[in-house]
Amino acid sequence: MMRLSNARRAGANKTILMAALAVVALVSGASSAMAADAKALMRAAFDNWRAKSSETTVTMVIHRPDWERKSTMVGWTEGDDLSLARFTAPAKDKGNATLIKKNQAWVYNPKLNQVVKIPSSTMAQAWMGSDFSYDDLSKTTDLLTRYTYKILGTGSAGGHTVYTIKAMPKPGAPVVWGKQEVKIRDDGVFLEQKFFDQDMKLARTMSVDEVGSIGGRIYPLVITMHPADKKGQWTRITTTKARFDISLPGYTFTTSNLQNPRN
Amino acid sequence: MLLHLAWRNLWRQKMRTVLTLLSMALASMILVFMLSFQFGVYDTMKGNALKLMDGFAQFQPEGYADDPGIEKVITHPDKLEQAALKLDGVTAAAPRATGFVILANGDRSYGAAVVGVDPAKETEVSSLSGTVRDGRYLRPDDTDSVVIGATLARNLKIKLGDKLTLIGSGRDGSVAADSLTVVGLFDTGMADIDRQIAEMLLKRFNDTFAMQGAVNTIALIGPTLSATDAALPGLQKIAADNGATVRNWGQLQPALKQGITLDFSTGILFYVSLVVVVIFIILNTLLMSVLERTREFGMLLAVGMKPGQAGGMVWIELVLLALIGNALGILIGGGLAFYFQQTGIVFSGMEGLLGQFGLSDKLYPTLSMLSATAGPLAVVISVTLAGIIPFRHILKLNPIDAVGAN
Repeated sequence: MMRLSNARRAGANKTILMAALAVVALVSGASSAMAADAKALMRAAFDNWRAKSSETTVTMVIHRPDWERKSTMVGWTEGDDLSLARFTAPAKDKGNATLIKKNQAWVYNPKLNQVVKIPSSTMAQAWMGSDFSYDDLSKTTDLLTRYTYKILGTGSAGGHTVYTIKAMPKPGAPVVWGKQEVKIRDDGVFLEQKFFDQDMKLARTMSVDEVGSIGGRIYPLVITMHPADKKGQWTRITTTKARFDISLPGYTFTTSNLQNPRN
Repeated sequence: MLLHLAWRNLWRQKMRTVLTLLSMALASMILVFMLSFQFGVYDTMKGNALKLMDGFAQFQPEGYADDPGIEKVITHPDKLEQAALKLDGVTAAAPRATGFVILANGDRSYGAAVVGVDPAKETEVSSLSGTVRDGRYLRPDDTDSVVIGATLARNLKIKLGDKLTLIGSGRDGSVAADSLTVVGLFDTGMADIDRQIAEMLLKRFNDTFAMQGAVNTIALIGPTLSATDAALPGLQKIAADNGATVRNWGQLQPALKQGITLDFSTGILFYVSLVVVVIFIILNTLLMSVLERTREFGMLLAVGMKPGQAGGMVWIELVLLALIGNALGILIGGGLAFYFQQTGIVFSGMEGLLGQFGLSDKLYPTLSMLSATAGPLAVVISVTLAGIIPFRHILKLNPIDAVGAN
């Protein structure tokens, strides 16, 4: 009798164990599916943001406690690594241009009629006096390649599900941030990006203030960058015109085109 | 009466008294001289470091020190300069504007700080012009001249007469770009300055960076650092009236101030041990003499002297010794310090080490009221306090036993 009941109990234990294993497998399967989701969301957001190529007209407002400055520029991007931006107004800044190739940057100044390469040590400095840095322009895809993701939670806004994704740098990744938190809509539109320093203190917030239709896609039209520790200081970029997935001439992203525009 | 007795007692044992006096004089001489020397070196370090660029104090816009930005400005520098120059502790004021820029020569480029200066005023405040190794410093009638650090020039591979391109942001956020001619290379010996500073004319800077007459800082200098320190309250008032702040030397050179504090703390440790050793030597001598004189004290007590009086007499002996010994020490130590203050002490073969701290191999002590009296005073007070030990010993003496002692 004793032996039998022991055997039965063993059988029952086995069943429980199997069930537990199945649950574990399910849960881990689910979580890896969610991780994949986070990555897919991130990729979708980047594809929406940069497209295969783009030509956009934007206005940039730099706001400081004592003054505000508005400028406009035309920008081109191709793939993940190439960008070119050329100021068209105000008159004082007109013609200044920035070329980004992977993680290198060059600026052109019409007054000097000269192209200057930005030293890598100063890539973290402000770009054109704004709250964006050269790194922001060149390392946008870092978020895609140098981080691991976890979905922190979901919410909803304007009939869409919004995912909050925590992005932690991969071990040893050459990035300046300790953590990023990104909000992405289920249709792949960026809503917010928070940058945390190595001490996990919020350093700055890039928020999307307006989402709308432009160039045939749903796009973050108004973006504002707020440094966390500087009151009354922000930079807002508004996209007014955009064309996506266009074909750009091969010379677009060269220093000679930077200096002598052909487009 | 007691004083008279004490004085006579001292000279009954001439040899012992002289030896005690000498040891005390030697200790206090060392204290005076070392303290003067230490203060002198600190003064030189502070002077050299501050005179190079920072000045003895600075007017700065609110929040500039924590996060310097070209848009944080002093809009009417003239007003502050003029008001500051009326103060006793301020002899010169130099307005400056500073922009963080990219300097380029051909395809070589480096990040650097370019400082707009008024050469006439700048040379009164900053000794940087004296460190120009090649070429010359800026002149008031220059237009597109720039002087840059020797290391920066080497990095940029730029020579005298070459054109240097700068690109940055102006006060209003506009693009600031200029092309300047290198007229001089300075070599201050301070790696940070030689690697990342360029100086151009303030009036040109004003146009290039859209400053509209505003500056970022005003460096001040006075006859001595302590004179300028004394003028700080006045400077604070001027700053407050104009919506600016004042930074004193310690805030301008926090690392130097911490270094000096640390060095002085270890110095204090040395001085305290010296004082303690001296006190023990003296106390030992005195206690020995008291034991030796037990019969004498017994006799005094027997003929009617109160124990308190006998103890007081010994205490007075001790204080007299301390006073004379330390007076001698101050005289000799102060004399030495004063002598070397004129001639300097050469530390040959130490140029490299001293150079790191901005010092030459010739160092000068600075004799002051503080350095002359602090050490000896500590000795006198400690010895006086320690005198309680022989005093209590005598109080416990029983006349009959004491007279019988041998």
